[in-house]
Amino acid sequence: MKIIACYSNKGGVGKTATAVNLAYALAAKGQRTLLCDLDPQGASSFYFRVKPSKKLTETKFFEDVERFTKAIRASDFDGLDILPANMTFRDFDVFLSRMRNSRSRLKKALKAVKGDYDVILLDCPPNISTLSENVFSAADGIIVPVIPTTLSQRTYIQLEQFFQANKLPLKKLHAFFSMTQGVKSLHGQTMEDMRKQHKKRFLKTQIAFTSDIERMGVQRAPVMATAPRSQAAQAYGTLHDELMERL
Amino acid sequence: MSLTFLPSYLVRSDALDTLSGKPIGKLRARLTRGENDFPFKVLDTHDEHLRRRGICLVRSGSDLLLWPAAHGPITQYVGKDPVEFVTDLPDGPVRQALGAVPELRSLLPMAQGRMQQVLLALVDTEEKTRARAEFHVLTAQDGSAAIVQPQALRGYDGAYTQLIKALGACGAKTLTEASVIAALNPDHRPYVAKPDLKLGAKTTAYDAATGIIKAYLAVARRNEAGIIADTDIEFLHDYRIALRKIRSVLSLFKDVYKDKQTLALKQQFSDLMALTGRLRDLDVYMQERQFFFDLLPESLHAGLERMFQMFAEERTAQLATLAAHLQSPAYEAEITALINRFDTCHKLRPGPEGDRNAQTYAAKLIWKRYRKICQIAEAIDDQTEDEMVHELRIQCKKLRYLMEFFAPAFPKTAFKSLLKPLKKLQDNLGLFNDYSVQQNSLTAFLDSLGTKDHDRNMQLAQSVGALIAVLHQRQREERLKVVDSFAMFNSKETQQTFRDLFHGGKS
Ligand SMILES: Nc1ncnc2c1ncn2[C@@H]1O[C@H](COP(=O)(O)OP(=O)(O)OP(=O)(O)O)[C@@H](O)[C@H]1O
Ligand SMILES: [Mg+2]
Repeated sequence: MKIIACYSNKGGVGKTATAVNLAYALAAKGQRTLLCDLDPQGASSFYFRVKPSKKLTETKFFEDVERFTKAIRASDFDGLDILPANMTFRDFDVFLSRMRNSRSRLKKALKAVKGDYDVILLDCPPNISTLSENVFSAADGIIVPVIPTTLSQRTYIQLEQFFQANKLPLKKLHAFFSMTQGVKSLHGQTMEDMRKQHKKRFLKTQIAFTSDIERMGVQRAPVMATAPRSQAAQAYGTLHDELMERL
Repeated sequence: MSLTFLPSYLVRSDALDTLSGKPIGKLRARLTRGENDFPFKVLDTHDEHLRRRGICLVRSGSDLLLWPAAHGPITQYVGKDPVEFVTDLPDGPVRQALGAVPELRSLLPMAQGRMQQVLLALVDTEEKTRARAEFHVLTAQDGSAAIVQPQALRGYDGAYTQLIKALGACGAKTLTEASVIAALNPDHRPYVAKPDLKLGAKTTAYDAATGIIKAYLAVARRNEAGIIADTDIEFLHDYRIALRKIRSVLSLFKDVYKDKQTLALKQQFSDLMALTGRLRDLDVYMQERQFFFDLLPESLHAGLERMFQMFAEERTAQLATLAAHLQSPAYEAEITALINRFDTCHKLRPGPEGDRNAQTYAAKLIWKRYRKICQIAEAIDDQTEDEMVHELRIQCKKLRYLMEFFAPAFPKTAFKSLLKPLKKLQDNLGLFNDYSVQQNSLTAFLDSLGTKDHDRNMQLAQSVGALIAVLHQRQREERLKVVDSFAMFNSKETQQTFRDLFHGGKS
């Protein structure tokens, strides 16, 4: 089982759009996938029309196992389940460590119902300082959308510094350019610079800014499901392939 | 992602309209109908082995579909060729799900028509799917029905429960409770090789005997078409068993019918059976082919090959003769007359025991037979003539038939506790007999070889001779087990149960 986190210390860069489509692509390729919505706003749950069940957050009397397994919801797509945004960060920490431990009761409980996962994908909210360290160490790979602007460049450098300061392997970081706009020549220059500066950290694939992705909010489904032939869907497909090759 | 293996259901085909017509709790049904319909055939063995196990197997074009399954049906591509025996299927998901189907039984089309796939999704106010079901609507000439494979979605147990409830309200039954074949063909009567016979407390011996014979005449008839078409060898086997049971009722139920009539009837059934004997022997040989080859070293295989070729030719001829007989007006007239006779009891006069209560009559017969068996067995040790062992086998068979005929009149568990060890004993005696019969008929086969083609016949004779030797050895091995087998059967408990059930507890 692999854990992949979709993370950026900057908001609105396309983390959720990536997580949702990546999850879809993984499941479509036959990987049993669990998408964990860590955003209290429930952004990725929204795209899958899953209503967060509020009750579960407070019901501490449940066993961990039951709390987690009961919170999981099937998406409308085969092989893709959602853990909606109804956990506290502390709960989530527990959840991650349980999923990591193959002998934990949670793993066994999931196995028993053929619900064990090949990939767990985390859609992280922008400000998770309390959690980020744990996510970084739990994850096998961290996919980081970067909008090619000077400001984003600086944020990305901060992330690498954080990794170095905490002795986390930089190898885990898989950045890619998000929301790129062909007409803005500034984008092109920034991308060139960053690729040079952070050799190997950046994937070749980039996700351009397109109205198809914007419309996901109306369609409430991954663009790969609603417009599989669109340029956006194909780009997410390549992103999936490239990332999986790296992991 | 589905939680576990869920049952499949059978439901009226108009259930889809009912389900999509009004909300189900807070959910609504969304239907997606497949664009095309496809031909289908429901496959099962003559005795509906699959249906009885709650399995529905469908062939559509080059695919096999099987329910129940976790998601839609389990499917396997099988190409264009007809599928006859499950054992001939290439390995695959359907083959695996079928598991152990009686090897000798062929799959037959039990119903056919056109099939359409319809997906049902129960969605909430956000248009999120909370439960799903895949319908295969089967439409045959005289009936239609839908196989439903519901699918639970993780985290939406409530919706699944509602779906099952809604299906239940439409009259859905699981495939273990309902028959797809019967739903598509309302006139269908399932074939039952061992009919369940009822025996009332007041049933007379005459009525019991007549009831059994009627039931088995019907069984025999249900096998004729399969013999003629050479569908599989079990048709002939069941046909013979049915006739043999009738004959044993006539001989075991002494004085239930008038003596003269009994004798004539016995002769009539023996004659009917006689026409089938050789074909059955050949069927058994063909079945044992591999076994025989395994018994002999490779150097002797050529001879065996030739023998089996001769058997195959003889079988073709025997089958043609029997098929012609079964299709002849004379046979039709004879069997119809027999059925009428036992239906109307015309020219079927009760004998001195006819009015006896069937239950007390049965107890008497069974006790007598059991005593006889004990007597024979007591005289058998490892030195006794084989004849005695054969006699023991025949008596055990008679006892078994009697017990099976009258089983409904006695307490189930006690009865079962007797039948189980009896079957074991019979297995031993049966093998002993099979080896002996095979030796005899192989010897007869050798004798029948002419003087033509001397060289090849020499080779053949060598092989068959070696085979007889091995069979003889096997027979000896079975023979040595007989004394122990009988002791195992006739335990203290068995003796007591026989006394209790059939002799008022007395010895
Ligand atoms: N490639 C793209 N082209 C056009 N619009 C995009 C693209 N990627 C994301 N968006 C839109 O930008 C907005 C923010 O994207 P998204 O929610 O994926 O970012 P995020 O990083 O998850 O945000 P947050 O930090 O709030 O969680 C959304 O409205 C989304 O539809
Ligand atoms: Mg987000």
